[in-house]
This record gives sequence, structure tokens and C-alpha cells, in this order.
Amino acid sequence: MQRITRRSFLRTTGLVGTSAVLADGLLGAARAGKPINFAGWVFKPDTVQDYVNFYNQKLSGQVKYEAIPWAQYHPTMETRAFGGEIFDVMYCAHNFRQRWYENGLVRPLDDLPGIDELKKKMNPQNLESLKAKDGKLAGVPYFTSLFILIYNEPMLQQAGIKAPAKSWDELVEHSLKLKKDKVSDYPFLPNWNVSPSGTMPQFMTDSFSEGANVFDAKNRVIVDQEPGVARAMERWQKVWKAELVNPEVLTKTSSTDTHRLFWTGRYAYHTNHSYYLKTIAGEPENSKLAPKKAKMTMYPGTGQTYMWTDSYTINAKTKILDDAWKLVRFLGGNLTGDWYVQRQWCLISGLDNPYPEMYEHPEIIASYDRWVDLKLLRKQYEKGRVIAAYKEPWYSEYDVKAVPIVHNLIRGGMTVPQGLKELVKLQKSLE
Amino acid sequence: MISLVVGFPLVYSLWMSFADVNLLRTTGPALEISGLRIPFFRYVGVQNYARLLADPLYWDSFWRTAYFVGAFVVETTVVGLGMALVLQERFLGRPVMRSLLLIPWSLSRVVVGLLWIGLLDVEFGALNGLLYKAGLIDSYISFLKSGFSALNVLVSVYMWNQAPFATLLLLAGMQSIPTELYMAAEADGAGYWQRLRYVTLPALRGILFLVLVVSTVNGFLMLDLIYMLTMGGPANETTTISWLGFQTAFQFFKFGPGTAILYTLTVLCLILTVVYHKVVFRRLEAEEV
Repeated sequence: MQRITRRSFLRTTGLVGTSAVLADGLLGAARAGKPINFAGWVFKPDTVQDYVNFYNQKLSGQVKYEAIPWAQYHPTMETRAFGGEIFDVMYCAHNFRQRWYENGLVRPLDDLPGIDELKKKMNPQNLESLKAKDGKLAGVPYFTSLFILIYNEPMLQQAGIKAPAKSWDELVEHSLKLKKDKVSDYPFLPNWNVSPSGTMPQFMTDSFSEGANVFDAKNRVIVDQEPGVARAMERWQKVWKAELVNPEVLTKTSSTDTHRLFWTGRYAYHTNHSYYLKTIAGEPENSKLAPKKAKMTMYPGTGQTYMWTDSYTINAKTKILDDAWKLVRFLGGNLTGDWYVQRQWCLISGLDNPYPEMYEHPEIIASYDRWVDLKLLRKQYEKGRVIAAYKEPWYSEYDVKAVPIVHNLIRGGMTVPQGLKELVKLQKSLE
Repeated sequence: MISLVVGFPLVYSLWMSFADVNLLRTTGPALEISGLRIPFFRYVGVQNYARLLADPLYWDSFWRTAYFVGAFVVETTVVGLGMALVLQERFLGRPVMRSLLLIPWSLSRVVVGLLWIGLLDVEFGALNGLLYKAGLIDSYISFLKSGFSALNVLVSVYMWNQAPFATLLLLAGMQSIPTELYMAAEADGAGYWQRLRYVTLPALRGILFLVLVVSTVNGFLMLDLIYMLTMGGPANETTTISWLGFQTAFQFFKFGPGTAILYTLTVLCLILTVVYHKVVFRRLEAEEV
């Protein structure tokens, strides 16, 4: 048997390593052009990889896709940009877009060919929210969503409630009855989770549904001057005090975890992002309320709810602008003429987009019919309301630091006027 | 090499705690090392430290961290010692038990968090199901309902993850104690507790110091479980200094103040290490004199 010496080991591994490097180099040289680096947060990465493969094969692309965990996505992109790395195309959540744009990480898209056509097809509210403060377009849509009200039809029927609540008073009345009759321990499940997609968007939604404003035209918090916000908060305190809400919702760490509680069929009403109804009412393998035992109804009050748009952006330092733009049109526009990627998200995950014409497509109609009343959902979208405050530099910090104040307020740790004043004070302190 | 790997990040991060840092704005003076540009950012003096010391949220987090670390160190040391004493005895299946002991410690904390969510969740939790089926509870318990109970859950879950390491260290220490000492103590009529008090614990002094230091540092730095289980809520009631530092740096993108917050943890760890050293070795030094 041949003895392996330190010298022979190093020689062999050195040779193997060198040949690997050379092989990769030669392969790289054989490829044409420069690959497009594309990064996104982890949400169904297999689906993303599938359409990236489709793009590479059918549209002669060279896209290298990297999925980065959601929680650390934006800081990771910033630190990697700091290290000199260039991702040509990147996902960007609505509340980071202005920061990336302002600091030169992403470029405006208004000068790129075909953008005006896309803009015309887009719902004007979503288009507005995709713009930076200077009015230039900073991204094209990955998806849009808004808050909806979902109800558990079998539970309401069991309690002799013939129709879902049309007003907040009715919703509270139903919940009290369900609790009293021991049909449900906690009939109401609002999205009060601690993450940025939970309590504060829910706060805005319920304020909007009361006809109130949360921010003024200069994006300052004005909740202490709005009687509608106070009404919403008094109701939150009331449902908490009457133990109509599962207290653990305050420590749920995501909207996804929160909506899973509704799968159990032990709650009557739930408010959350629209796409969660797809798993609640459309996935019998997970949810006791599928198929279609959970339904949506128009949001009470004015019906207005908080709506947002997450996006694809292009790196300002990209050296392959034409290729990057082509990929972005494929992802967030209609490069192939059949809304390939946008359609996939609708079909697979119920992730909506701001192009109303897509909802006339028979495949989309048939797919949505399995979990939601599409006409009603579209009507709810007409009531969607966007904000511009997330374009302010203080917004991210306000959004996180406001949650404990609102949680305290819900639990009666302070009065409604005190809590609302605290929110105003917080925002002013961050300006 | 050491100065590059250890020294540079330490010095640079310390500098960042005195600076106004925006990772996306790196123009201005910088250090260039073979093509790598390391920006200095704008120096702001002690402003970051002054602001955090004036922030009531920092002090709330400080006292919560003190509680968390205190409870965690006590639980880890007591449970770790208890398990080490059990595993020191001869019994059937001891080798298997010693191997199984390391499983909680070897799991990543994200997995630990997911595992305990699966056990403690108010709707899907196995523990609630078990207690309910056994007729011990009428309705499911919400373990994370209030801040104090959530904080204690975090302490216990982290102890579950870390106590095996303490056990491992203490067990190794116990095996290095000469059996003659126990034989002599037995000959003098010492019972089990006296042998523990006068032979085992004094001989483990060095290891106990290590366990205290390691668990204190780990307690201060614990972040992942908060991330997985509570995200600092409800209403900041599980926000510790490490979570506050993480939030400040990575959610508010205030890397200067975030680094300053985390440097205060480093100082606390150093102070406590000195205190432990004094307390644990005081008697030994007195005896040697």
C-alpha cells in the first residue's frame, strides 16, 4: 500500500484544485456575455428558479439567482453592496425602496424602453407607490396586496349567524355571542403580530376603515387628531378586554404564523393579507377551512384597507443595463406577452399584481375561483389605500418602535388618547 | 494573521460605534488595502453612547438583560451540575445517555426555536395537547401571553440548549478528580453531600469559573431565540440589549448606535468576568497564602 505523505497529499490536492479552477475558467470563457446577478428574499425559491430556468432557456438569458432569507434580506443586500458586490436585479420591499434609491443603490427606470406602456397598464395607486419622492419610478411590481376580512362560514352557521358582519359593531356582537355560546374561545383573530407586516399595517387598515388618516400630506403622524383612529383603538381595547382575541397573537413573529392559527377552524373572523386566504380556503392538506369554508367579505366601515406594492429594482451600478431591464420586464412586466411571471404568482400563491387586465384571463379566473370570490376581491382592491410615509427616512424605525406602544394600548396599559399622543411623539422624535 | 482576523474587525467596529455609518454612502476618506476600500465614515464623538445612555428603552432592556442573564446562568449551572453528577454515577445505559446529552447543544438555535414553537404553541403545541389529553388542563395554556412569562420561556429554552455543554465541562472536570480524595473522605466518614461540598465542588472551581463565564457571555449575546420566539414582544417585554442592538443596526440601519449598544455588552461581559474571577478564586488564593 502506498503511503500518503504530507508532500504527496499537498501535491495531489493542489493539482485537483488547479484543474477545477481552470475548468471553471474555460467554461466561463465559453459562455457568451456576462451573467445577470439576480437576488430575492426566500419565498418559494423553487418557483423562482423554475421561471429563471425558463428565462435562460427560452429567452437566451444568463441569470444567476440567489435566494436570501427574508428576515435579513435588506441588510444583507446593503452589506454586500458595501463590499462592492453588484446584484443587477434585486427584490425590494416598499419600505426600503426610497432608501435604496436615495443612496444610489438602485436607479430610476423612467428612461428605459417600454416603461410608459407598463405604467399605463398599472393601477394608478400602485404606480404612485412605486415612485420615489422625486416622482421617478424606482421599481416595477413583484406583487401587491392589501388587508381583507375573512370569516369562518361553518362556525357562523353553527351559531345561527346568517351573514358575516357588515360593520364593526356587528363583528364585535357576533364575536361576543360566539364566545358566550362557547362556540369559540377566541372568535376574532386580527393580525396583531409583532413583525412589520402585522400590527402597524393592521393599525392603518382599521384607521382607514373608520375614514381616518394616519399621516398628513407632509407624512407626519396625526393620529391624535383623528376621531376615527380613536374609535378603532377603543374597539381594539374592547375586544382584548372581553377576551375575544387570542393573546398569543401579540408574540407571533410573522403574518404567516398568524394566519396559520385560522387553519384550525377555531376562530370566526380574521384580518390579514389577501393572499393568505389561498392557503386558508384553498389548501385542504393544511387548513380545516378548505375548500372554501373560509370566505372573504368586504372590510367593514368605509371598506378602505392598507395596500402596498413590493418590487423588482435595477442596481444603479449595473454594467449590463439592457440585459437587466429585459429580465425586469420579464419578472414585473409583460415581456413574453402572457404575463408569465406575474401569472405564475397569481396561480401558485394568490399574490396579486397591479395590472387589472390580468384578472380577465380565464386561467386566473378559474384558479381564483377555487379559493376566493374574485369579483369581491377586485372590489376590495378598488378600496385599497396606499401611503407615502414609508418614503421618509424615519419610517422603518417608527414602524418598529410603534408596535410596543400599540400593544400597550391594546392591553389597556394606557388610554387611547395617551397612546395616540405617544405615537405622534415617537414620530416627531425620529424626524 | 491574528491582528487581521481578530484585531481589525474589533478596532473597525469600535470605530463605527463613534461614527455616523451609512453602508450605502461610502464616499469620503477611506483606507485602501490592495483594492479593498474601507471607509471611515463621519466621526461623531461619543454621541452614539450619550444617546443610548439617555434612552429609557436601553435601560429597560438593560435590567431585562440582567434578569435574563442571571436566571440563565443559575439555571444552566444548576441543571448542568445536576446532570453531570447523575452521569458521573454508574448505571445501565450511561454511555447512551452521555451521547444523547449533546443533542440539544448540537442543534442550531433556529432549529431549537422552531422545535419549541412546535411544543409550546397555543394552537398546535404538543405540550398543550399532551396536558389536555391527560386531563391536567381545561383549555390550552398561552405560554407567551405576557412578557414576563415569555421571558422565562426564553430563559428555559436557552438553558435546555446550553446546559449540556456545562454538563460536558463539569463531567470532564469530575473525571479528573483523583479517586483517592473520595476514598479518604469516605474513610473520614463523609457522606454523599459532604463529599460533594468538600471534595467535588472545590476541585471543580476552575471549571465552574469557565461555565459561569461562558454562560454569562452566551446569555448576554443570545439573540436567535428572541428572533424565533417573540421578536422582543409583546410590547418590548422580551427586548434585551442584544436584541435592541440588532434592531438598531439591522432594522433601523443605524449601524453606529447599534454597534455602540453592542459594545456596552462587551464591557459588561468583561466586568462580570473579572467579578467571577475574584469570587470563584478568592478563597483558593486565601488558602494558598
